[in-house]
Amino acid sequence: MIAELIEAVAKILFIFGVNMGFFAPILGWVERKQSAVMQDRVGANRADILGFTLIGLLHPLTDTIKILTKEDFIPAGANKLFHTLAPFISLTPALITFAVIPFGGQYEIFGHRINLVIADLDVGILFIFAFASLATYGTVLAGWSSNNNWSFLGGLRAAAQMLSYEVAMGLSIIGIIMVYGSLRLTEIGAMQENFLRWGIFLQPVGFILFLTCAIAENKRVPFDIPEAETEIVAGYFTEYSSMKFIMFWMAEFLEVVTISGIVTTLFLGAWHLPFVSSEKLLSLFGFAGPNLSIVLLMLTNIVTFFAKIIFMIWLQMTIRWTLPRFRYDQIMKLGWKILLPISLINIFITGLVVLLK
Amino acid sequence: MNYELNYTIGSIPLDKLKPKKVRKNIELTLWERLYIPEIIRGMYITTRHFTINMIGFVFPPKGKKRKIFTVYYPEEKLTIPIAYRGRPVLVQREDGKEKCVACGLCERICPALAISIVGGERHRGNDMERYPVAYTLDMSRCVYCGLCEEVCPHEAIVMSDEYIGLAEYDRKNMIYPKEKLLVPVARLKDRIEYVRKIYGKNNYQIPSTNNQIITKSQ
Repeated sequence: MIAELIEAVAKILFIFGVNMGFFAPILGWVERKQSAVMQDRVGANRADILGFTLIGLLHPLTDTIKILTKEDFIPAGANKLFHTLAPFISLTPALITFAVIPFGGQYEIFGHRINLVIADLDVGILFIFAFASLATYGTVLAGWSSNNNWSFLGGLRAAAQMLSYEVAMGLSIIGIIMVYGSLRLTEIGAMQENFLRWGIFLQPVGFILFLTCAIAENKRVPFDIPEAETEIVAGYFTEYSSMKFIMFWMAEFLEVVTISGIVTTLFLGAWHLPFVSSEKLLSLFGFAGPNLSIVLLMLTNIVTFFAKIIFMIWLQMTIRWTLPRFRYDQIMKLGWKILLPISLINIFITGLVVLLK
Repeated sequence: MNYELNYTIGSIPLDKLKPKKVRKNIELTLWERLYIPEIIRGMYITTRHFTINMIGFVFPPKGKKRKIFTVYYPEEKLTIPIAYRGRPVLVQREDGKEKCVACGLCERICPALAISIVGGERHRGNDMERYPVAYTLDMSRCVYCGLCEEVCPHEAIVMSDEYIGLAEYDRKNMIYPKEKLLVPVARLKDRIEYVRKIYGKNNYQIPSTNNQIITKSQ
């Protein structure tokens, strides 16, 4: 009982620490530095401690100090309760959805069974979708409660865009559920041990559809119409300052990580290395004894999983700094007239193939 | 004395500067309307830049051959061209005195009213010469137009190449007295040569070393 409690707390602390302590600040740096490198610039490199700049890695630290010392401002006429609540509603789903994403398989070490997922729900994907939809409320509330025209427009756009893409996103994932026959993410991950059974090979269309819809859900370029800074200042978070402002940013970055996690679990073979099965790895680690070899296998799987996540983050950042922003009507047209029919056709063809097999 | 303006832009020949063929039809082809190939093409370009620059960051090429041309300002500085107009300075003769004769032309022409001169006379050997008792330049008003340099008949005020450290927290510090403006003539040789070249008119004669008034009639 105590061992299980320790295991659960350790897993929660690990995921929370990796997300809030590593990914959230590092992604701010990555976004600046990667865009700079892609555009032949240098990027942020001035913050230093005793002359060591560490290629700009100290900028997240200085940003945090700056943000924490700023005035927390609530505009006159704003709805104080919802204005304060909105960033929390945005940030919490981004953190919670990672609870059902497995970052490793199931292992038996010293007679104790370890399942490397915080909550092994049998409706894992539904849980993710339920909480991802809650993030919409944060955005819409922020836009509405700020008592500002730009924020209001941003909130309206966010409501329309996120609700439309929710449909296509939900339908794009049905194919993968039909192929693997399960909603439990640990099972879907375990079924992808064979390289040729990875989701991206079984459902290539579903992969593209899901990635597109997920980026649109996350309101990032090229779908950043709710915060389009060239049109409506900063959109739904125009009136936010200090820590609340950075909470929206953190929510956005953590959603990037979460999307990478979901894509890795569903399409990129979860924690499995390509071409190398777990038995092969175990025999490779055989020199360390029966228990330690499993520990080594577990560490390899975790590293593989996070390497895939980092690759997906890199891909999303590249997309973000390559494509220009869509117009509002183009976003709606893409969502309803193109992505939705394609995902329906994808479901139909997948169903036929599954039935005839 | 003849100074010819060079109209070519950099070292690029003019025929190379012509724009490439412009596609007039704005209708997208089917291949472009599929959008995904175009996304991949765009991402190929950005990823190519990313990879080349990352290699450049990890193994920086020697010399100035790098792809990123950003100047790391306080550590690196550009070599500024001779035509650059930095802060105006007074030319100091070899004997340590100022070359200025306090004629007041620069004070008169200054569009920002930044210069104020108090003239005086002093002995130089057996002759008398005029000199500025006080020469004050208000750097908070100076617009770096270079008219004082152009109008000066004695090459006594020129625009230097200094542009660093001119900002101050107090306006009082921006009023430069004569002592702060004097710069030895040896350091300004190139600029004086350049000034002669660009403002050299047919009736203009190079002033002699001693400060006698130059007349056209000879």
